[in-house]
Amino acid sequence: MAHKILIIDDEDDIREVAALSLQTVAGWDVIMASSGAQGVARASEQHPDAILLDVMMPGMDGPTTFRELRKNPATAGIPVLLLTAKVQGSDQRRFADLGVQAILFKPFDPLTLSSQISSALGWS
Amino acid sequence: MESSPQSGKQAEEALSQAIDRLWIRFLPEIRARVAVLESAAAAVTANKLTAARREKAQAAAHKLAGVLGTFSLTHGTVLARELEATYSQETSLGPDSGERLAASAAELRAIVENRPSKSQAP
Repeated sequence: MAHKILIIDDEDDIREVAALSLQTVAGWDVIMASSGAQGVARASEQHPDAILLDVMMPGMDGPTTFRELRKNPATAGIPVLLLTAKVQGSDQRRFADLGVQAILFKPFDPLTLSSQISSALGWS
Repeated sequence: MESSPQSGKQAEEALSQAIDRLWIRFLPEIRARVAVLESAAAAVTANKLTAARREKAQAAAHKLAGVLGTFSLTHGTVLARELEATYSQETSLGPDSGERLAASAAELRAIVENRPSKSQAP
């Protein structure tokens, strides 16, 4: 099944590699947004099956974007996976407390990113 | 943006080729981030590292840490993480740290400039 994934990340290189990886390896449909605000709008319009959300972004950061997504009934039920380069345990605990589905780490392996997402979301 | 899934080696090769193309496309940005770290190390040596420049170096190192491993430059991610940790300290960095920071930035530069292609394409 071709899932539809929204990638929200301000870094062009990360966003493009993640999109390429999900399209090439898994054949998923990918939507991209380069800011939290744009991501909230895209999620509301296009109802993706899951959202891959960067933590550190200028303006609306990942946690704030996540809270905005949860406030909107149209996007509140979409599973969100945080993508972060923060490796400290305290950061991870703080992110887990938000209620996201999973935390994935940068750098990711483009060959296995889709299987990491599938595994976290119980997609087989 | 949708495409058909490919299997096994075919997907791996297609992905490697596409990632090589993305590397070339994003290399100027990646080089610019390394340049920020080289400049910050020079400022430390000269005892002229401002808070703004330190924060810029921390952000550049953070971004490099996140992206280099994705392009198979795992050691680059390790070095960038070390630099991010160093520049995240608000205590002042003395000139004696400059040499070490410059060496790490130079190593990062070498890693970035010598990334081997992962695909079999000519």
